[in-house]
Amino acid sequence: MDSEKVIVCRCEDVLLSDVLRAIERGYRDLESIKRLLRVGMGSCQGRHCLPIIARVLAKTTGLRIDELNYPSSRPPLMPIQLKYFVSDGNEG
Amino acid sequence: MIIGGGSVGLMISYYLLKKGVKSIVIERKYPGSGNTYKCATGIRASFTSKEHIALMKRSIELWSELRDELGVFYERSGYLWLLSREEDLRTFKTYVSFQNELGIPTKIIDLSEVKCLAPTIVIKDLLAAVYDPLAGKASPFDLILQSWRLLVEKGCKVLAGVEAKKILLSKKGILGVETSAGFIESSTVVLATAYDTVKLLEPLNISVPIEPVPKHAFITEAYRDLFKPLIIDWTTSSYIVQTPHGNFLVGSEIPERPSDKLLNRLEFLRKASKVWTKYFPWMKEAYLLRYWTGYYDMTPDHHPIIGPLDDLEGLYIAAGFSGHGFMMSPSVGEVIADWIAEGRPRVPEALNLSMSRFKKGKLIKEIAVFG
Ligand SMILES: Cc1cc2nc3c(=O)[nH]c(=O)nc-3n(C[C@H](O)[C@H](O)[C@H](O)COP(=O)(O)OP(=O)(O)OC[C@H]3O[C@@H](n4cnc5c(N)ncnc54)[C@H](O)[C@@H]3O)c2cc1C
Ligand code: FES
Repeated sequence: MDSEKVIVCRCEDVLLSDVLRAIERGYRDLESIKRLLRVGMGSCQGRHCLPIIARVLAKTTGLRIDELNYPSSRPPLMPIQLKYFVSDGNEG
Repeated sequence: MIIGGGSVGLMISYYLLKKGVKSIVIERKYPGSGNTYKCATGIRASFTSKEHIALMKRSIELWSELRDELGVFYERSGYLWLLSREEDLRTFKTYVSFQNELGIPTKIIDLSEVKCLAPTIVIKDLLAAVYDPLAGKASPFDLILQSWRLLVEKGCKVLAGVEAKKILLSKKGILGVETSAGFIESSTVVLATAYDTVKLLEPLNISVPIEPVPKHAFITEAYRDLFKPLIIDWTTSSYIVQTPHGNFLVGSEIPERPSDKLLNRLEFLRKASKVWTKYFPWMKEAYLLRYWTGYYDMTPDHHPIIGPLDDLEGLYIAAGFSGHGFMMSPSVGEVIADWIAEGRPRVPEALNLSMSRFKKGKLIKEIAVFG
């Protein structure tokens, strides 16, 4: 498998080779790799890429999944447009 | 040894290293996991006390250096305060002349200048604005990840997942710290632990006046560059800033009491959306991606507690940043390093910010704390 050709995060366009390089440079938890490469910051908020990257990280480092600082899920569950919070009626 | 791997803890370690002192940082979770990664990235020296202004003037010089030394994203893209009430304009005129006297280039601008700075803004309810061209923004991700890597490369220790449990004293001062990974000996300990400083010092009968106050923020999907400055709507205590990636990061004040739990509140989403879609109607179509909450570590006078403790040799505090700890971290790192290595801070105003001010009743007043 050519890691330069495998996209692990579709939303932010990040390659497997980017992830492997980050691990090599010493970043060994998902929260840090997320902020280094933007994986998990796209419109799916990591639903697609983080499980894959977690497995890559666990395999490369020998760490257990629960030692990887898996990013917390935060609202909203799906991206939502701001207009749904702006009421057009008379109330506040 | 430094407890806390936020922007403040890592910058203390960074400026100690510049003086040839290698330190250990211990961080309970991962570096940045406290408030630092939650912050709105804003940097300004336009404050209303000489202490804040002096520290921030120095910080702004250091932010440029950090951009060159570590490759941290930092940009002097300004702050813009939108004013819609006569009384606010009057108050801001006083702030501006105070700031100008101390060398901070804030100025009152008219609505056509606001339009130049943010072309898509609707200005119909506005009176005027205040602009600070020296202010700007930086990436907390870069600051943490790049300084962390450099520290480790140069032989310092940054221990993630290690929690300080108890500070142990000797007859003369400090013996070291009991941690989740065993005892670590050190006669100098710096607490860069935001509101957790209170818990760490309680067993030593030192009471620290810091209260955590919940704050809310959300981020939208990325857009092309639409405006550079961080914009504050003074009437509603709300702010908006476009990140280097293009996302809009938004905050807005809603009523919260100190120590309240961090809860997601629809009230916040409604207020923040209402304020910013009024100024930027196209934002109604923008998708919100993530909503988070964090704490401001507030002190009674909204100024940080920095420096040594009078009655306990070797113990230093750098906490209580009251919403400004990210922007201040470079100069605070530097003055704490000065204190440890040379016995005094290079920014003399820092001497007014020690814990003893609360005992002596010498509180500092600041009128402008934002969102
Ligand atoms: C929504 C929001 C917006 C903000 N916007 C801005 C802004 O625009 N500009 C600005 O300058 N500031 C802003 N701030 C404030 C800023 O985030 C903080 O002041 C700054 O990050 C402080 O950094 P710190 O290092 O003091 O604290 P933190 O980043 O909280 O670091 C403290 C660290 O100590 C660790 N710790 C605590 N106890 C222990 C222990 N016992 N053992 C080991 N480790 C421990 C924690 O895990 C944490 O990582 C904002 C804050 C919030 C919440
Ligand atoms: S695939 Fe990575 S954030 Fe969506």
